[in-house]
Amino acid sequence: MKEKWLFGVVVALFVVPFMAAAQKTTLELLIHQNQAMVTYIDDFNKKFEAKYPDIAVNVSVVKADELAMSTQTRLTANDVDIIDMFGFAQGIQPFMKGADKPNWQSLIEAGMLMDLTGQPFLKYYDVAAIKDAGSFNGKVYELNTGRYAFTGVFYSKDLFAKYNVRVPTTWSQLVAACDTFKKNKIAPMTIGGKDGWPVLVGGYGILLSAYPDQAALVQGLWSGKIKWNDAKSLDMWKKMQVFARDMIEPGASGVSYDSAPGRFASGAAAMLPAGSWDASNIEAADPNFKFGYFPMPGSDNPADNKYLGGKYDVGWVVNAKTAKKDAALKWLAFFSDPENYQAYVNAVSIIPTEPTAKLGNAIGKEVAPYLANFRLGYELLWVGPKGAGQWAQPNASFFKPFNQFDDAKKLADQAQADLDSGLKAAQ
Amino acid sequence: MRQGYSFNFGSRRSKIVPYLLLVPGLLFYLFVSFGPSIATAGYSFTDASGLLGSPLRWIGLDNYKEFLLLGANVRDNLDITLRTLLFSVLVTVFQTLFGLIAAVLLDMRLKFTNFYRTLYFMPIILGVTIVGLVWTLFFYPIGGPAQRFLGLFGAHSEFLGGSPSSVFYWIVWIQIWANMGVTMIIFLGGLQTVPAELREAARIDGASGWQVFRNVTFPLITPSLNTNVLLEIIGSLQAWQLFLVIKGPTNGLNVLGLWVYALAFGRQSNNPTSVAMRQGYGAAASMILFLLVLVIGMASQSLLSRRERRILG
Repeated sequence: MKEKWLFGVVVALFVVPFMAAAQKTTLELLIHQNQAMVTYIDDFNKKFEAKYPDIAVNVSVVKADELAMSTQTRLTANDVDIIDMFGFAQGIQPFMKGADKPNWQSLIEAGMLMDLTGQPFLKYYDVAAIKDAGSFNGKVYELNTGRYAFTGVFYSKDLFAKYNVRVPTTWSQLVAACDTFKKNKIAPMTIGGKDGWPVLVGGYGILLSAYPDQAALVQGLWSGKIKWNDAKSLDMWKKMQVFARDMIEPGASGVSYDSAPGRFASGAAAMLPAGSWDASNIEAADPNFKFGYFPMPGSDNPADNKYLGGKYDVGWVVNAKTAKKDAALKWLAFFSDPENYQAYVNAVSIIPTEPTAKLGNAIGKEVAPYLANFRLGYELLWVGPKGAGQWAQPNASFFKPFNQFDDAKKLADQAQADLDSGLKAAQ
Repeated sequence: MRQGYSFNFGSRRSKIVPYLLLVPGLLFYLFVSFGPSIATAGYSFTDASGLLGSPLRWIGLDNYKEFLLLGANVRDNLDITLRTLLFSVLVTVFQTLFGLIAAVLLDMRLKFTNFYRTLYFMPIILGVTIVGLVWTLFFYPIGGPAQRFLGLFGAHSEFLGGSPSSVFYWIVWIQIWANMGVTMIIFLGGLQTVPAELREAARIDGASGWQVFRNVTFPLITPSLNTNVLLEIIGSLQAWQLFLVIKGPTNGLNVLGLWVYALAFGRQSNNPTSVAMRQGYGAAASMILFLLVLVIGMASQSLLSRRERRILG
């Protein structure tokens, strides 16, 4: 009798968890690597699972530059429910003849993204944000969660104070500040050069100072009114070369994107050109580290440097073929709840798209003065013509030590020649 | 009376058995390798995005025209192809050479032979990702072991993060280091088939060590040499994983295998939001790579076979 009782207990111990697991819905979530974001989502999911005990959330994290590929493969395999997607605002303009469609448009046209139009949680968000970075042909496909600035530079308040350096508002002041740090054996800037794109993004500030109206720049390049090798652009390339060669510390080509905020917070460099999303990663590396954020001054005219370029960043899209639609919508609704959304804004330091939320932390205070001059960055607007060469983009990482160019004029001519090849082919 | 199992190969049923035994392998090959290859050829004539449900249009030779003829693609893709060929030549020549030297040394039955054999073969077990990580750490330009050594002489290098023309040669070296073990094992197998009495006879006739190797040993390991050369040519033409792990798609450093991946899965540039999903175009690029491997592989096979027949009869 005793054995039978024991047997029953053992069976129950094995079977009950399996039965419970079988009844649970597991949401598959795909996000990109950003430590602050990953930490927040893990904590948020615990709250969500506590509220909805019948739903579990499994999170997959991929590198930012692998997100597009993972999105494509996992949607095709139908083994993902909610995906973090960025770059939704990038669209084809009528003058972009023969250019390829952006990823999100291909996904929508293939019927792979769920139509979120009319969902009650959309009411929490800024109408313009939903329209500009979440809608296509009048329907809503992405829940955009906020904006980030990416043309700014983080700086160490302690190092600036110690060496009596003022926050630069012109290019000459920035060069002088870097010289001061170098003289004192402090690296002026560090960056996640190993991943390539942080150097590209770091140079966008110089581009923005040269061309504050980035939409006009894109149109000008397509029409031929603006050239990558005209006098203004050549000045920009020269500054990008100084940025890549003289301002960034030697060896930064080996520093990964993930480790750059920690390296900056350790005092290894006085500045970190990066998107405002890294504020949370800097704070996580050293909560006592005092930092500020200023627009990269790419011009000697302070009026050209008052802008912050950026983008609509993380947005949630839902797999149209998911069998867990209700659970996915519950997750989005819970995320959008103003209290939870405010916690998200605080955790990842994003400029909110819910009007009731406020970015009140250190980075929020730093970017606040520039929000009136916030511009969508080149990256969000540019789509190149087919047949354009590989150098036809304003990329500071094309210079040594990150790549092969050590002559700004040569790269400017190459960039324009490569663009011309595409424009000619588009004709 | 015969012992054990045997087939009566004269009977009809027994004639079928070997073919039946081939069926699982054949089906596996058809579904996993041959089928997708044919599908890739088909997709190369379409605008496939790789997304289920997306419209698929037959666009004829447009993908090939774009890859080979459109705008600056001509220059960029030719650069990539030439770099792939250079990579293949360097890897094939030096991997064969280093593998042969290692095999000959180990065949001398010196002390610790097994230890060195394991050591040389170890990278094969590690796999590409680990190999890439190991060398990335070794060449970390801020305080990595290689930089510390250079620092003793007051020098600095960006190593794997620097100019593509120098990174290319580091990747050639790492590719050789990672795969030399297989080359060495194949050569060792060949060396062990060389009759000891032939070498002994040559020595008695007054041949030096070098003469014995050049005139007796080396010709007799021709089959091993041919196997190695062919494997290395084909393997290095298709190589892309190390490039991806160490640097990712980078202007001035891409090779064809990596480029196919970049085109198909959207990593043409280091812009994280770059346009992607052109699997039809990627399929066309992979067909061009296939043709390159086919032509070079068959030409090499023909030359090597002719040489083998000339030497060994």
